[in-house]
This record gives sequence, C-alpha cells and structure tokens, in this order.
Amino acid sequence: MKLRTMALLGGRTFRNIRRTPALISVIVVMACMVVLGVLAAFTANLMHIGGQLQSQVQLRVLLAQDGAPVDKDSIRNAIRALPGVKKVEYVSRDEALNRLSLQMGESGFFLSDLERNPLPDSFDVSIARAEDARPTADGIRRLAGVSDIIYGQKWVDNLVGALRVLWGVTGAVAGLVLVGASLIVSNTIKLSVFARRKEIEIMKLVGAADGFILFPFVIEGLVIGLVGAAMATALVTAGYVGLAAWAQSAASFVCIVSDPARLKPAALGMIVFGAVVGLTGSAISVRRYLRV
Amino acid sequence: MVKMYGVTKVYASGAEALRGVDLSIDKGEFVFVVGPSGAGKSTLLAMVYRGMVPTQGQVWVAGRNIVRLRWREVPLFRRRIGVVFQDFKLLPDRSVYDNVAFAMEVIEASRRDIAKRVPLALDMVGLAHKAQAMPGELAGGEQQRAAIARAIVNDPLIVIADEPTGNLDPDTSMDIMNLLCDINLRGTTVIMATHNQLVVDRLRRRVVHLEDGVVVRDELRGGYCLEA
Repeated sequence: MKLRTMALLGGRTFRNIRRTPALISVIVVMACMVVLGVLAAFTANLMHIGGQLQSQVQLRVLLAQDGAPVDKDSIRNAIRALPGVKKVEYVSRDEALNRLSLQMGESGFFLSDLERNPLPDSFDVSIARAEDARPTADGIRRLAGVSDIIYGQKWVDNLVGALRVLWGVTGAVAGLVLVGASLIVSNTIKLSVFARRKEIEIMKLVGAADGFILFPFVIEGLVIGLVGAAMATALVTAGYVGLAAWAQSAASFVCIVSDPARLKPAALGMIVFGAVVGLTGSAISVRRYLRV
Repeated sequence: MVKMYGVTKVYASGAEALRGVDLSIDKGEFVFVVGPSGAGKSTLLAMVYRGMVPTQGQVWVAGRNIVRLRWREVPLFRRRIGVVFQDFKLLPDRSVYDNVAFAMEVIEASRRDIAKRVPLALDMVGLAHKAQAMPGELAGGEQQRAAIARAIVNDPLIVIADEPTGNLDPDTSMDIMNLLCDINLRGTTVIMATHNQLVVDRLRRRVVHLEDGVVVRDELRGGYCLEA
C-alpha cells in the first residue's frame, strides 16, 4: 500500500471515528472497561491482603534439649534447602525468654523467679506461601535434633482454604467479566462495521483490495479499544486513588493497596486488553463482509 | 470478451439459478438480458463481475478464466469492470465528486489522475454542475448518472448494469439508456439486465432471454418478447 494511500485511509479512519456509532462504541468499551477495572482493583487488593496474611505465617522449630549435642548449622542448612522457605532465623533459648518476657509485659514478672529457663533453642522459619506450611513442617520434623514445630496448624489450614476459595471465585468472576467484556466490545464494533457494510460492498465492487478495506476498520477498532480503555483506566484509577486515600485516613488499619505505582500493571493490562479486543473484533467483523 | 460454458449455479438453499448456460459476448457488444423475476438475470451478471462463482462450468472474461482467479486477484479483475445497480449504491455521506473519486482512490490512482478523470466522467454523464451535491439532494436519474460515472471513471472493458432503469420514470430511463449507448459507442461492452420492455424494444440490440435459469432465446436486434 502506498504511503499516500495510508495517509488517505488514516484521515478517513479519524473522520469515521467522529461519527456517532464510533462514539457509542467508545462509550460501551469504556463502560465494560470500568467494570473490568473495578474488578482488577478488587483482585489487586485481595492479592495484597492474601500476601500480607501469608507473610505472617511462621513456623517455630523447637530443638531437642535432652542433653544430646545438636548441630544447629546443619539443621539451619537443611531447613533452608526445603522448597518454599523464605527466611530462617535462629532464636536462642535466652532470646526466646526475653521475647516472651517482652510479650507478656507486666504479667511476665514471674519469669524472673524461674530457677532455670524452660524454653528450648529454636528457629523461626518464614515461608513464601501459607499452603507450604504443612509440607515444610513435615520436612523439618524429619530432621534429627528437632523436637517439635509450632505454627498454628488449624489457623493456617483455614487461611489456605479461604484463600483458595477466594482465588477460585475471583478467577471465575474475572474470567466471566473478561469474556463478557470481549463479547460486548467486539459486538459493538461489529455493529459499527454492520452500519457501514454498504460502503464495504461498494469498495469490493470497484476493486478495492482486502487490505485497503480492512486497514481503516482495524485502525478504527484499535483506536476505539484504546481510547475506551484509556478513559476507563483514568476513571477507575482516579476513583480508586481517591477512595484509597479516604480509606487510609478514615481507618488506617485497613490493609489496601495505596501506592499508585502498584496499579500500573493492571492499568496497562486494561489498555492492552482494550486495544487487542478492538483490533481483533473489527478485523473479524470486517472479514465477514469481505466475501463479496 | 465474455464466454460462458455450461454455467450452472445452485444456491445453498438448493435453488437452481442457472442451468448449463452457454453464452458468448464479443467486445463492443450491447446485450440485454431479459426474463421474468427469478429467471437468473442478476446471477448471470454476477458471474461476469465475479460476484459469484458457478457451481459448474467456466466463465472467461477478457481472455481469463475468472472461476480460477485467486482471491487476491479478484480486486484487480474487478477494476476492469464497471457495475451499475438499480439502487445506485452511492455512499450517502459523500458528494457526487467523492463518490466517483472513491472508485479511483481504491485502486490507488494518483491525485492528479483523480483530479483529471473525475470531472471528465461527470461531464460525460451530464453531472458536472452537481459535483458537490450529496446523493440525497439528487433525483433518481441523477443518482443513476453518478453511479454510471463511478462505473466508467476507471475506463472499464465491460459495464454491467443490473436493472439500472428499475427505479426511474420512462423519460429518465431513456436518458440513462442513451448514456449507456454512448458508453457502448466508445467501444465498451455493455451487458444490461432489464424488465423495461420499452427500452429493449426501442433500442433493438442483442437480447438474451432467460427463463428458469436457461437461455431460451438469444437474438440479435431482438425485442423484449419473441416476435412471431
């Protein structure tokens, strides 16, 4: 295609976009993308909260204190080598008593009356995901010199179950919204193409090549998708940032994503999604009318 | 210019539009295709501009078997054919000039060529003074003139007209026919499907009569009906 022809088609594309069907398409794309954006913000926060909860899961590995010598370094290395282990911190029995005393505050006065420290040496083990707690604990339990592991097994199991259900529900809803948004956006563009099927038919009859016909429609679809998605992204981002600031000032303990930089991948994803759906939707729709 | 060998067209519904049609049209001929509604006239014309491919048989146009054209060759072939329809098929949001220029834009003609040939085509159909009018502002005959200007602007080998006078009154129909005759006089082959008995009887050109998809009469200087 000649450069001059491309410029001509580019001009025609933007003239077409100013027409009512294209404007309506942009608005529909924007509406779909706003729904998708709200869901993305919800999912981002869910992941954030899940991450926060998971980072709090810690295994306390108690070492045997039956008098036999314990090789702490080899235990530490063996724990580190287990999959899913993020951090291993050694806590001596004195340090453990100290921490307990601090934790108990004034009611820990009796600890100073103890004849000997009853607490064992231990390791605090942080893991990447809560669902790794049980296999990691099983792996550590098999090591020589380990007497017990404390990690709130029931609480962790409940958390893992709850997170699994949440991911599943969010994934299913996101999938449905994504499919729904794709269908609505591509159908809206299809309507815009349908409204101009006569133009396509005439182009075919006067000998226009498929590329010549396809080019303005595909560019139009791309622009509609991009503009609609960008407007929706701006709207959702502005709304979310305002809401997050309000939530932080009203209830600072609420654990939500407040850093705008963390919203960038979702925003970028929305814009790319809008562009791809717009482009493919228009290309598929026009192809139907090219068979003349 | 056009040769058909045993052309049969069966639609997906099972309806047979053409049945073993053999036809030969020479360069520069003016041919009327007549027959009742549903006889296969429009299907026959569509075979010539490759709007359809036959279920059986071969169609040769300007020395090429167009049934065997590859998909990307079809646009190049159509640039050598001008098509005119009963419903004009003009773009309502573009001026007469732009509608005619459109046929040149799609074949990527130079701006200079467009500026030179569009006014000539409009002048030939007598619409030079309405170049900037929108199709909705024109009478039916004028719209058909604009459609004819679009069909001839690329200097086609054949002009195919599918009931071009179907929506026009008798006087305007004769004007359009005179225009098509002028185009034919310049050496362009014209194939026209029509129900217009007056026009066919007055012009006395070759008549191909179709009934139920079969050529029942092919007569030089014929009338609309077979004369005893």
